[in-house]
Amino acid sequence: MSLSERMLKIDRRIIFLVIGLCTLLPLLYPVGLPIKISSEVRGVYDHIESLPEQSVFLLSIDFDPASKPELYPQAIALLRHAFRKHLRVVTMTLWVSGTGMADQLVTQVAKEMGKEYGTDYAFLGWSPGGQAVIINMGQDLYSAFPSDYSGKSTKDLPVLDGVRSLKDVGYMVSLGAGRPGVEEWYVFGKDKYKFDLGGGCTGVMAPGLYPLLRSGQINGLIGGLRGAAEYESLIGQKGKAVAGMDAQSATHLAIILLVIMCNLFYFSLRQQRG
Amino acid sequence: MTELPFESIVGAWVATGLTLLIFSFLYKDNPLFKLAEHLYVGVSVGYVIVKTYDTVIVHLVVKPIVENGEFALLIPVAIGMLMLTRYVPKAAWMSRYAFAFIVGMGAGLAIPRTVSSFILKQVEDTIRPLLSVTGPDSLTFSMNLLNPASHLNAIIILLGVSSVLFYFFFSIEHSGAGKAVARTGILFLMISFGAGFGYTVMARMSLLIGRLTDLIEFSDASYGRPTVWLSLLTIGALFLLARRGRAQPPDAH
Repeated sequence: MSLSERMLKIDRRIIFLVIGLCTLLPLLYPVGLPIKISSEVRGVYDHIESLPEQSVFLLSIDFDPASKPELYPQAIALLRHAFRKHLRVVTMTLWVSGTGMADQLVTQVAKEMGKEYGTDYAFLGWSPGGQAVIINMGQDLYSAFPSDYSGKSTKDLPVLDGVRSLKDVGYMVSLGAGRPGVEEWYVFGKDKYKFDLGGGCTGVMAPGLYPLLRSGQINGLIGGLRGAAEYESLIGQKGKAVAGMDAQSATHLAIILLVIMCNLFYFSLRQQRG
Repeated sequence: MTELPFESIVGAWVATGLTLLIFSFLYKDNPLFKLAEHLYVGVSVGYVIVKTYDTVIVHLVVKPIVENGEFALLIPVAIGMLMLTRYVPKAAWMSRYAFAFIVGMGAGLAIPRTVSSFILKQVEDTIRPLLSVTGPDSLTFSMNLLNPASHLNAIIILLGVSSVLFYFFFSIEHSGAGKAVARTGILFLMISFGAGFGYTVMARMSLLIGRLTDLIEFSDASYGRPTVWLSLLTIGALFLLARRGRAQPPDAH
């Protein structure tokens, strides 16, 4: 058996091991490769920067723990930025399976930034209906969420003073891992109720959302762990996303090399067989 | 060193254990992976059922009716209950009213909004001027590939959209000039699939990075080093399972 044949029939577990090591080693021994900020991530950052203090920032945490590695760092970076800008932060989720995680996330960042529940931020929890919730919020926010996650009446929350519907929101970002997510917030929210919308999504979804970005339907897009790392760099608080970028680059390099090697061995074998 | 709360330590051990059991599939399919897979499905479904019951039935239906006397809520409840008649063959026809309501309302809400957002807006963005008028007698053409709004990108998008649409036009044979246009369409499709696959690889690697980051964190002494102990346990269990598999003769079919 020639070298090409042996390499093309290599045990797949060796490839798993190579990818595993390429991920693990940079996490243990980071190099700190530079992170270039893309215009789509800067779009979200610049918009939040431009908001005056006490503007209402709505963050919809539309994912569950299955997408946590990509979207959790995005949410942390966005919340840190919004709290630092002294915005009134209102959070919610359209995914029932992400409710507990979203509550933990918001509480953790608010505690870290010294913010008070009810006055500086609120977590409205989950309400059933997906896109119907968005339409309902566009008409009357208190009818979509009569009470917050802890059961308090939303009408009594000072953070929602002067907010009756989505039209009163200064900026809205949906961090979506599927449906309902960024697209639904555009279709049933922004397109009808005219508020500024930005998006964050998993890497798999990003190519599908670029047409919305180019046409100006959303004014920024944070894509995957890479987008989260860019946002962390922008706010100057490096976290798990930046830490993972060396590993991401190393695995991408390994995959490119494997693809090239596989092609070389394939064509070499074809040539040998005439 | 600050001592971690008991629930954080238990959470770390459970998360580490389940991650390692799922990773054991990379070696080969085994009962440990199956155990973790079934636990994941069961816990997810259980969580969704409890949260849905608490939010919908308790907070959005029972409490408003009992505490605030909002009896109008009984109408959607009745429509929802009609769905359950599917389980009674003689009364199953009643569920059609509920389905008709949902389909009618869903289509009515979704069709105009989707047409406006995904067709009209996207067509509007595709048909952009290929040159800009900057003065009474001057035209400009921007060549910046990195700027999505440049004229060069507008031409590339126009070429891409036209050639891909032509590729899916099957009423005429793709030969001669038509073949060249269809081939161009395939080229654009391939670039699009490649970009999509690249992002997918990035996303999957991010998930692996997320799990490995947690495993590294949980190898700390403050958690009791669950990564170390449970890795040894998982490897040991896989070794024993492999030995047992070799000792037992294969099933006769």
